[in-house]
Amino acid sequence: MKMEIKKLLFVTQFEDLRYDTLQLFLELRRAHLEHIVFLNVIQREKVAMQRGVGYKKDEEVKLREMANIRFIDWAENLFEQGMEVGVYIVVGSLVQQVLSAVEKEGIDLVVIGNPEKKRFTPFISGSDISELIHRITVPVMIITVPSEEKRLTENPFHRPLLAVDWTPGDMAAVGFLQQLKGVIQEVNVIHVAAEQALKSSSAMGVQKTRKKHREKLEEICEQFEAAGLQARSHVYVGDPREEIERAARDCQASMIISGIPEKRSWGGKVRKSLPVRLTEKTAFPVLLVPPDSGRETG
Amino acid sequence: MSEKILVVDDDPDVMLFNKTVVEEEGYLPLTASNGEEGLALLKKESPDLVILDVLMPKQSGIKMYRAVKTEERWRHIPIIILSGISRRSFLKSQEALTEFGEQPVPEPELYLEKPVEARELATAIREVLEKSKAT
Repeated sequence: MKMEIKKLLFVTQFEDLRYDTLQLFLELRRAHLEHIVFLNVIQREKVAMQRGVGYKKDEEVKLREMANIRFIDWAENLFEQGMEVGVYIVVGSLVQQVLSAVEKEGIDLVVIGNPEKKRFTPFISGSDISELIHRITVPVMIITVPSEEKRLTENPFHRPLLAVDWTPGDMAAVGFLQQLKGVIQEVNVIHVAAEQALKSSSAMGVQKTRKKHREKLEEICEQFEAAGLQARSHVYVGDPREEIERAARDCQASMIISGIPEKRSWGGKVRKSLPVRLTEKTAFPVLLVPPDSGRETG
Repeated sequence: MSEKILVVDDDPDVMLFNKTVVEEEGYLPLTASNGEEGLALLKKESPDLVILDVLMPKQSGIKMYRAVKTEERWRHIPIIILSGISRRSFLKSQEALTEFGEQPVPEPELYLEKPVEARELATAIREVLEKSKAT
C-alpha cells in the first residue's frame, strides 16, 4: 500500500491555523510533499440572505478578498521554494467543501484546525468532526488550537504516538507512517488493554495478557524498523482515551495517531467513537487514518 | 481569421473581464479555469497567445508555464502572465524548479500584476502578438 504525502490540503480560517503552522509541515518534502492546497470556507451565515438586506454580496467579496490577499502572500513564499500551490475560497458547509476539495485535487493529507471553543466562535463543531471522520477517505490531522503561548512549534510527525487495536484503520496508519523516513524521529506504538484484562485469578494470567499484546506490538515495531524508523512499544491499561493521552505525555509525543473504525460498523455510535473522543479532549494534534486510505482509486 | 487567445484563470469575474477585452479587440477567446484544463485545450487548439493566471486550483500557472515553455511544439507561443502573484516570486519559483533539476525556462513575454485596466490589457495583447509575428 503506497501512501505518500504529495498533496496536502490546509484548511484554515486564519484565526486557527496560520502560515507558521504550515511551515512545520514543509519538512514533509523529504517524504515527497510537493503541492499545498489552501481551503478557506466562508460560513453561509456570514453572507446569507437577511430580511431587508438580501444576500450580502459585499460581505462575500470582502471576505473572499481578505482570504485571497493572505493566500497570495503565503503562496508567494511557497512558490519561491519550488512548491506547487492551489487555492479554494468558497462559501458553504465546511465538511462538504473539505470532501469536495479532497476529491477534486486528489489530496493525500488534510490538516484542519479545531479552535478552543471559548476563544473563537466555533468554526468546526463536534458534529462537524464526527461527520468529517465518518466521510473522509484520506488521513486527516485535527489540530486543536490552544492559547498563543502553546501554539504548535514542532512538526507533529517527529515523534508520533500510534494507538493500535489492530483494526484495518490502525494498520493503514502503519503503512502511512512507513513512508515518512527522514521526517519521523521515533514512533511510539501503544495498545490500551481493557481493565478487565487485570481481572485474573493469578498474576501470571495478567502478565500473559500483557506479553501477548507486547508481542503483537513488537511485530509492528519490526515493520517500522524495516522501513528505517525507530519504534518502541507500550502496553497501558484502562480507559483508552485517558491512557492514550497519558502515554502521549509520557513519551513526549508530538502527535497521536489512530485508525478510523470501519464505517459500516459505526451506526449511531460514531460520536462516541475513540477518534472523536480523542479530538474533543486532547491538546495533541490527532491524525486519523481511514481504513480505505491508500487504496488505488483509479 | 482572427487570432485565438487562450485565457486561463479560476476567478469567474477576472475571466469575464479578460474574455470581454479579448472579444472587443477582435480576437477569439478560448477559456480554461486552471493549468490542467489549459494544457488540455492547448493540445486541441493552437492559440496565438496565452493569458495566464498563476494561483489556481489543480495546476498552477507556474506548472503550466513550464509545461508550455519546455515543449517543442508550444514554446513559440507568447505568454502574458496576469496574476496577483508578484513577478519576482514567479521568477524565483522558476529558478527554484530549475535548481531541483528541471529544464530552465525563459522569462514570460510580459508580466502584468492584477488588477489591470481594459486598455492596458488590450495594448499588451496587441504588442505581444505583433512582436511574436515579427520574430
